[in-house]
Amino acid sequence: MHESNAESQRRQRFDRIVAVFHQDMYRYAAWLSRDKAIAEDVVQEALLRAWKSLDALRDDEAAKPWLLTIVRRENARYFERRRLETVDIDNLTASQAALLAEQPDEQLDDMRAAIYALDDDYREPLVLQVLIGLSTKEIAEQLGLKQGAVLTRLHRARAKLKEIMDSEAVT
Amino acid sequence: MSTADTIMNCEEYREAIGADPSFDGGAGHVAECAECRAYRSEMLALEQRIGRALAIEVPQLVMPELPEIAADNVVTLGPARRVARPAWFALAATVALAAVLGVRMLTGGIEYDSLADEVLAHVDHEPYAMRVTDRPVSDERLAEVVASDVARLDHRGGLITYVQTCVINGHEVPHLVIQGERGPVMILLMPDEMIEQAVPLSDETSRGVILPVGNGSIAIIGGREERLERIEKSVLDSVTWST
Repeated sequence: MHESNAESQRRQRFDRIVAVFHQDMYRYAAWLSRDKAIAEDVVQEALLRAWKSLDALRDDEAAKPWLLTIVRRENARYFERRRLETVDIDNLTASQAALLAEQPDEQLDDMRAAIYALDDDYREPLVLQVLIGLSTKEIAEQLGLKQGAVLTRLHRARAKLKEIMDSEAVT
Repeated sequence: MSTADTIMNCEEYREAIGADPSFDGGAGHVAECAECRAYRSEMLALEQRIGRALAIEVPQLVMPELPEIAADNVVTLGPARRVARPAWFALAATVALAAVLGVRMLTGGIEYDSLADEVLAHVDHEPYAMRVTDRPVSDERLAEVVASDVARLDHRGGLITYVQTCVINGHEVPHLVIQGERGPVMILLMPDEMIEQAVPLSDETSRGVILPVGNGSIAIIGGREERLERIEKSVLDSVTWST
């Protein structure tokens, strides 16, 4: 059976968007959930939802915030379904620990552990800014916050990381 | 040197650099403050470490099995793109029953179990609409989307920051976003979707209601923390069907 031209165009459009933003989706999911296995599940669900809703994306220029919002909502749904407990950094599962020990680099491992331990409210805007490259205005839109609140959270996140890194340098 | 540079103090400068290390303002202050110059260098070094730490390896993309989208409802992209009307348009009258009994509904090629499901899913369709802002849409744009032969609308409902024509259950309906107390709130004006009683809506991130209004209905959805009761009242007070 032949795919219609419209179906084929739709699939090509979807593949093109996903190819560009898949890495951002996965990394965002991984740092939101703090678990690589959960991130893979969340991304799979997000891709399905994005596929079903693709026709609502009127402008491909808006694909990145659109996909990230879907990832964010899927992550929330995942945790709501599983009612997961708060992650205890001293008692991690294998896939949680895998996020922290990607390459044997002690300095990076310390930084990953520090980011991992940040409150969600601080970690998420930091990930969106540093990793995904969103402006503070875009982060505010993504998280439903005022821009001033985003600036404060970003400042506090870095201050906290600096404090941890400075204290580890001393010890 | 700008005026802002001259009046920036250490605390303000460090807050700005902490929020965004690429901040390039405050040149006047940095030129005179060695401590803040050192702080800036430290923050730039920290930023590099944060960036490297966050950039975890990404596994190869495994595409999930994507369901078929009904061919009749696949939208062809083009400059004058419009969403195709499904052939089952006439089924709209059964929406009330569908909402309550969970009859499966098709729209845009996607199956929904009920009007409630379709309305909730619509929050995901245009997430960029759900943003906090104090910028209202223009009266002209509002009039363009909420045609006077559909409904009359005044501003008692709240600050309207987004309007768009969307398709719900085969009908083009005005989709508005107003600013609630705890964030943006989506409103769908559905003059053709008659329901007999209010249908509560809820998922992991949103809650709301579809309210019967005359021969149609209005969906109101906000974040889980939003106080919707006041918004419901003001929206109901502000909308009058024209038909």
